[in-house]
Amino acid sequence: MKCEYCEILSGRGRANILYEDNDIIVAIKDTVTTPGQITIFPKEHYTIMEMVPEQILEKCSIISNKISIAVFESLGAQGTNIVVQNGLSAGQKVPHFAIEVIPRREGDGLNLQWEPKQLEEHEMEGTVSSLKEALKNLEKSIKKEKKSVKKENPDTETEEEKEENYLIKSLKRIP
Amino acid sequence: MEDMTDEQRKQLEEKLKNMSPEELAEFQKQQCIFCQIISGKIPSKKIYEDEVCIAILDINPATKGHILLLPKEHYAIMPQVPDEVIGHLFKVSKKLSQSLLKGMRATGTNVFIANGLAAGQKAQHFMLHVIPRKEGDGIIEVEEKLIDKEMIEKIKSAVEGKLNSLLGVEVQKTLTEEKEEDVVEEAPKEDADDEVSEDEDEPEAKEESEDEDQEEDSDNEQAEDEPEESDDKDDGDASLNDIANLFK
Repeated sequence: MKCEYCEILSGRGRANILYEDNDIIVAIKDTVTTPGQITIFPKEHYTIMEMVPEQILEKCSIISNKISIAVFESLGAQGTNIVVQNGLSAGQKVPHFAIEVIPRREGDGLNLQWEPKQLEEHEMEGTVSSLKEALKNLEKSIKKEKKSVKKENPDTETEEEKEENYLIKSLKRIP
Repeated sequence: MEDMTDEQRKQLEEKLKNMSPEELAEFQKQQCIFCQIISGKIPSKKIYEDEVCIAILDINPATKGHILLLPKEHYAIMPQVPDEVIGHLFKVSKKLSQSLLKGMRATGTNVFIANGLAAGQKAQHFMLHVIPRKEGDGIIEVEEKLIDKEMIEKIKSAVEGKLNSLLGVEVQKTLTEEKEEDVVEEAPKEDADDEVSEDEDEPEAKEESEDEDQEEDSDNEQAEDEPEESDDKDDGDASLNDIANLFK
């Protein structure tokens, strides 16, 4: 699978890079919503936001704010939109997580605004409870994950886990 | 504000002018509807809360499940928000996004910030929107156009210096402005990526193995016992992989 952002990294689009460090790239894409749009993405290939480690996501978000400030001051933007398109149906075009910083001016003709809707009280209630439930399950699975990371310590590895690791390693070997 | 007479408005403007920055911040807070939601004076549909932020349902949503994520502290625009708060908000938005994918069966999400009036900001309280998306819902349509190399260079040279100084790339202050730009261009390349290449092997390999899992799932059912690791995490990861795999 070709990834446009990994290609920027590997050399073809290096001219478009504004800033880079060990973890992230700030670049100008060949296709943009409006000239001045700047993209920040992790060097590591993560397809969607849910796969990006917290530390990297944190860094990307902080730098997106700095880009936004730089765009205000150096391009005379009057505002910015910071957008994450997470998944094909959310408009994501490159399978590599990124944050877009889009400079805005009064009357620039861009329309990023949605039509506001009215929901019934019971719809709101239903939404709140299903989201709370999903969050609770998520917290549980994060805790579980943290435990299993601790288990990976080789000293405490049981026979069963060794077997498991062997299976995973052998899976990796399949080309 | 609309009901005030000219006299009252003048008085208010005068009052505002004479306020110290602290008093002004306090005044803005009192006027801010979201600060009143945060303090509980105005009821809301709360989904998440911690010491830094609060997530509520938008009462005029783009679609069902549209979440507003607000820092508890009052910031009018994004440049005022401290780094650690921005970082925290995005970490929480990742969780909210994942909850929308699972709890609302969304197939994608947008994290959206409108920063400034020209960008469509309506409230005086900085916030992130986390919006569930489904194929063809047309909520936010972002069309992209090709720009030429010349334009890219122009933008790059305009933004680069400012951005690098904001990001703390060292610039020799004794140099003239023109020369500064040259230095800045070279600076970030020096400390490039020794560490990254070391780290790269593992996560990539992991991803591959997850891909394998998926292929095997569909190809032959017997193999299902093998990928314990991804099964263990929880069933939701399968749906995340589905969303990621749509690209292939």
